[in-house]
Amino acid sequence: MRIKQRARINSILTNLMVVILIIYIAGPFVWVISASFQGENELLKKPPSFIPKNPTTDNYRYVFTGQVPTSYEVKGQLRSRISQEARLIAPALKNSFIIAITVLAINLLFATPAAYAFARLRWKFRSGSYNFILASRLMPAMAIAIPYYMIIQSLRLMDSKLSLILVHSALTIPFSIWFLTMYITNIPRDLEEAGQVDGCNYFQVLKNIVVPLIIPGLVAASAFAFMTSYNEFLFARFLTTSIASQTGPVVLSSISGNPDASYSLISVCLTLGMIPPIILAISMRKWLTEGLSSTITFR
Amino acid sequence: MSVENATQVKPRRSTSRFFEKFYPYGSVLPALLIIILFTIFPVIYAIRVSVYQNILTKPNSHPFVGLKNFIDVITSYYFKTALVNTAIYTIAAVTGVIIFGLIVASLLNTKIRSVNALKIIILLPWAVPAVVAGLMWKWILNSDFGIFNGILYSLGLIKSYIPFLADPVLAKFSLVMAHIWKEGPLATIFILAGLQLIPNELYESAKIDGGGGLRLFRHITLPLLRPILLVVVVYETMTAILTFDLIYVMTGGGPGDSTALISWFAYAEIFKFLNLGNGVALSIIIALITLVLIILYMRALKTETTIY
Repeated sequence: MRIKQRARINSILTNLMVVILIIYIAGPFVWVISASFQGENELLKKPPSFIPKNPTTDNYRYVFTGQVPTSYEVKGQLRSRISQEARLIAPALKNSFIIAITVLAINLLFATPAAYAFARLRWKFRSGSYNFILASRLMPAMAIAIPYYMIIQSLRLMDSKLSLILVHSALTIPFSIWFLTMYITNIPRDLEEAGQVDGCNYFQVLKNIVVPLIIPGLVAASAFAFMTSYNEFLFARFLTTSIASQTGPVVLSSISGNPDASYSLISVCLTLGMIPPIILAISMRKWLTEGLSSTITFR
Repeated sequence: MSVENATQVKPRRSTSRFFEKFYPYGSVLPALLIIILFTIFPVIYAIRVSVYQNILTKPNSHPFVGLKNFIDVITSYYFKTALVNTAIYTIAAVTGVIIFGLIVASLLNTKIRSVNALKIIILLPWAVPAVVAGLMWKWILNSDFGIFNGILYSLGLIKSYIPFLADPVLAKFSLVMAHIWKEGPLATIFILAGLQLIPNELYESAKIDGGGGLRLFRHITLPLLRPILLVVVVYETMTAILTFDLIYVMTGGGPGDSTALISWFAYAEIFKFLNLGNGVALSIIIALITLVLIILYMRALKTETTIY
């Protein structure tokens, strides 16, 4: 009897813990999405309502079309500066997307052959260059931010998407190489040897035999590269000055840096900004989790 | 099939041997070039800049100053504050992240039904940009109309709204809370991977011997998890020391300098004090601190792995 009671208390406590954790993890997302559908007046109430009482898409309409929400006109608190800035979020996210997709492609194109060479082929400088590539990731971003600024300036690439593509590629390729090398090392060798007996050269073995076998690894590596680039802030902040190249995080930080910032418009921008990573994280949950787990359990 | 193929391959033998020999170099070179351009060159450049005066308001005077930039930084008004803030923040954040990771990973490792929801959302904070995470928490904690104040107020726990980000101590707490939210999920995945490596039979035989939950955790889980925990601690320490995005959007280092970590001052030297030389010198100091920590941890890790 006592044991049964204790087990029940334990189960209640565990479930309570799970609920608290779910609120802590998901709460901020739910709240920012809810806030993006509320008018400014409703949002600034004390205390604010968690579920919008008069849900409105005015904020979204403003960000995409420039049509001023009625709630602003009523109170006469139109904030021209923030309003204009909030409208930059769509082009900024487009920049983020173009840059991240290109970085992803560069990663696949450059890291896959390199990883194959590290995992399977024998050549001079193999372990030396491998260690060098891994060690390059240990450099704190802040320590090289100024030199990056200077390099990009001397290449005349300031405020261009290409500069961020280059920098983000340099940031992500070492991880992709490491991750894919581990992945290739862990697949069986027999098929490749059969291919070589049949007269395939290294490139054909890689293209026709290895790549189909490591598709899950390639998908995970692409997702990591995409997210790292999409989420990166420090270099994007240093290397961009206009909407021609500014990415989502840069524009978000500058919108909210304005003390007059409109909370509902910021919520719209935040919601829009987190859609791509959230879709990736939910749709590829299994592959991402397996990929991340393998980085710590493989040696 | 093999006979026909062999006769076809033979004439191309010499070119294919050349190809095979240089193939590995060709396949690594493009990646290596990008990494060299953005690693070796920046490091050399940083060291060079750090021994010259380089103030943005004096663009035409760059005299050689030796170690003056480093001495300036170390004797500056903020250096000790920055180190103390970074140490407090790092210890609090790493401890928090590890505890969060242990709790959530242990829950995910059970078969309780409610845990499934946790499984779906656990990656979300990790996936969104740190800037987005910081801004969400900044508005949640807002002192005039934040939802957190709103909830506490409606529940009758507080009489008036609390300015979380305007109080030096509460601001630190708030940052650490946001940091755990953002970084905890990755630690959770890592620790979960470690937990799944522990064979179930160990727990079963220990239960037969009469071990309770906490004792199982102390005597089986923790020792077997140690190598992975150590890697997670290393990774999380680096992340915490170098935190920048969260602070940039949540507090801007304030109130006062109470949440300004060492990377924040590297940024401030460049963009606020306009002193590139000092900024780079401080960046090099940051790099050295992390390097020393990495070496210490690697040593610890080596002795760990020889034991297990």
